[in-house]
Amino acid sequence: MLLQVKNLRCGYGSLEVVHGISLHVCPGEIVGLLGGNGAGKTTLLKALVGLLRPWRGEILVNGRPVHNQPAWRCVSNAVALVPEGRQIFADMTVRENLLIGGYHNAYRRMDVEMVLERFPRLAERIHQLGGTLSGGEQQMLALGRALMARPKMLLLDEPSMGLAPMMAKEVFAEIVKLKDLGVTVFLVEQNAAATLAIADRAYVMETGEIILEGEAAELMHNAAVKRAYLGKGYKEIWE
Amino acid sequence: MKVLDRRYEMMPRDELEQLQLERLQALLARLKRNVRRYRELLGDTRIESLADIARLPCTTPENLAEAFPYGMFALPLREVVRLHPALGFRGTPLVTGYTRTDLAQWGRLVARQLVASGVTANDVVQVCLGSGVYRGASGYVMGAETVEASVIAEEPFHIDSQLAMLQSYRPTMLVTTPDNARELMKTLQHRRIDPPSLHLRTVLLSRPVSRETRQALEAGLLVAVRCNCGVDEILDSGFCVECDAGHFHVNEDQFLVEVQDGELGVTTLLREAVPLLRYRTRIAATLRREKCPCGRTGAILEPGPRLDGRLRVRESPLYECQIAEVLAQTRAAGHRFHVEVAERHVIIAIEMSSALFSDVMWMLTDLQNEIQNEFKTRLGLDTDIRLITPRDAG
Repeated sequence: MLLQVKNLRCGYGSLEVVHGISLHVCPGEIVGLLGGNGAGKTTLLKALVGLLRPWRGEILVNGRPVHNQPAWRCVSNAVALVPEGRQIFADMTVRENLLIGGYHNAYRRMDVEMVLERFPRLAERIHQLGGTLSGGEQQMLALGRALMARPKMLLLDEPSMGLAPMMAKEVFAEIVKLKDLGVTVFLVEQNAAATLAIADRAYVMETGEIILEGEAAELMHNAAVKRAYLGKGYKEIWE
Repeated sequence: MKVLDRRYEMMPRDELEQLQLERLQALLARLKRNVRRYRELLGDTRIESLADIARLPCTTPENLAEAFPYGMFALPLREVVRLHPALGFRGTPLVTGYTRTDLAQWGRLVARQLVASGVTANDVVQVCLGSGVYRGASGYVMGAETVEASVIAEEPFHIDSQLAMLQSYRPTMLVTTPDNARELMKTLQHRRIDPPSLHLRTVLLSRPVSRETRQALEAGLLVAVRCNCGVDEILDSGFCVECDAGHFHVNEDQFLVEVQDGELGVTTLLREAVPLLRYRTRIAATLRREKCPCGRTGAILEPGPRLDGRLRVRESPLYECQIAEVLAQTRAAGHRFHVEVAERHVIIAIEMSSALFSDVMWMLTDLQNEIQNEFKTRLGLDTDIRLITPRDAG
């Protein structure tokens, strides 16, 4: 297992947001985490990369505990985060954004070429400021920047958010291609249909708890997935 | 060695335990949200390891009977696509529901058993279980379809038509009950039909049989005999996979099994419509978690006898209390009785009292007929009623 989470609890102040969840990601997999607004997906990701100290539980990367490590050590564990809303450096050029993603990578200049080959759209805008790119291009840049760290695992936080459907489709196609690089993907999304279409497995999260786990193909037709994704209640349950 | 879901069937123990923990936590979250009984019992209970399951409440067959029909359902009926009525605790009715995902998973689990028995897409599988009494039959049909084998789902009523189908369609696997397999073997011997002329390669029996029975069937039908091992109320076909070494491996990616006081307890990890937490199966069992030559890592189940006095008559369950209830409607009400199950009927020996006894023969015969008719009407059961003295009962 590349990533193993056991009984993770975390939150903000005195408010517990993630209530003791467990999950795992095996090498080479694309694993989705689905859930509606406020389910605790981003909080979980923050804990995974060390931006939030877990209250309880374990996070293991390649069998080594990392839950007490600071965020900056995350990259040396070969885990990179593509945050929600891209968070690219708007006042820096595309090249500078990429180089900053590989600041600890001795081969970063060579890797820039690799990324540009992967995302030709970025090559066309290599000297353009990040802030002037379209939403889809910014997402490509955020993905490329993460790849500059030569990660074994990418954590993607809502990569399709705010993108036009066509652009989102393109981004998901790029995520699938990451498999060729041997990169494992943990994809946190609200777009259930698109995520399940490319994922091997998925978890469904609701109010800080995982309520479903299974093969993506099986979850695709699951009514509970629709319910969790749409954030509907259980008032109609027959009891 | 043939394995369908290598990832799950041969999963390293530590990974399997992580998967079970994840699924158990998700199950608890669903139960607390969707089933009132569990919500009341579980409260805010959370578990942090598989060992914590000992802190969770058990579900008993009595609970299922109390919750009949839909009390244990975790989803509204509009999401349930199939209902299987069954006979539960002490003959009370029981209903199990399945969502589309439940059915797909069931088919996949049965397919694991079929693949382990050598079934491929080139095979023809004939299912002769009498689906009226045996709901596992539909599991075998779905399993065979999952493997993409050709499946004959038509139920022949008589051994002659069954034999005709075996000769005409040339199935390579027959899924049937031990009784039916024995009858088929006898018919072949009686009619001097050469077993290889049937093209059967494997017979999959609906329940475990003794080594002697298995060997007799193998010798009589010239086939490999495999057995299914399941729990009626949870999943009959698809609960275990019998490997080449003859071990019943529990599909532990979907069922968390434990043995409490010698009784098998099962938690359904992925079931959507009717998930059960620590269901006490009333089946004696032992579990072994050891390395198997087949490579499967699921716990090895050794099933024992029923602990609730349940009998099996022509593959249908029968409880002694059901017999007492029927007798209570007759003149033999309140009398002690002894039950013996024969191949096709039940022998009920009733201890006579002075109130019941008569020295007029036709009156005793009338009493026997009355009781026989009562059993036929109420339970559809063929009985042989014997009136004995308490001294005979000895």
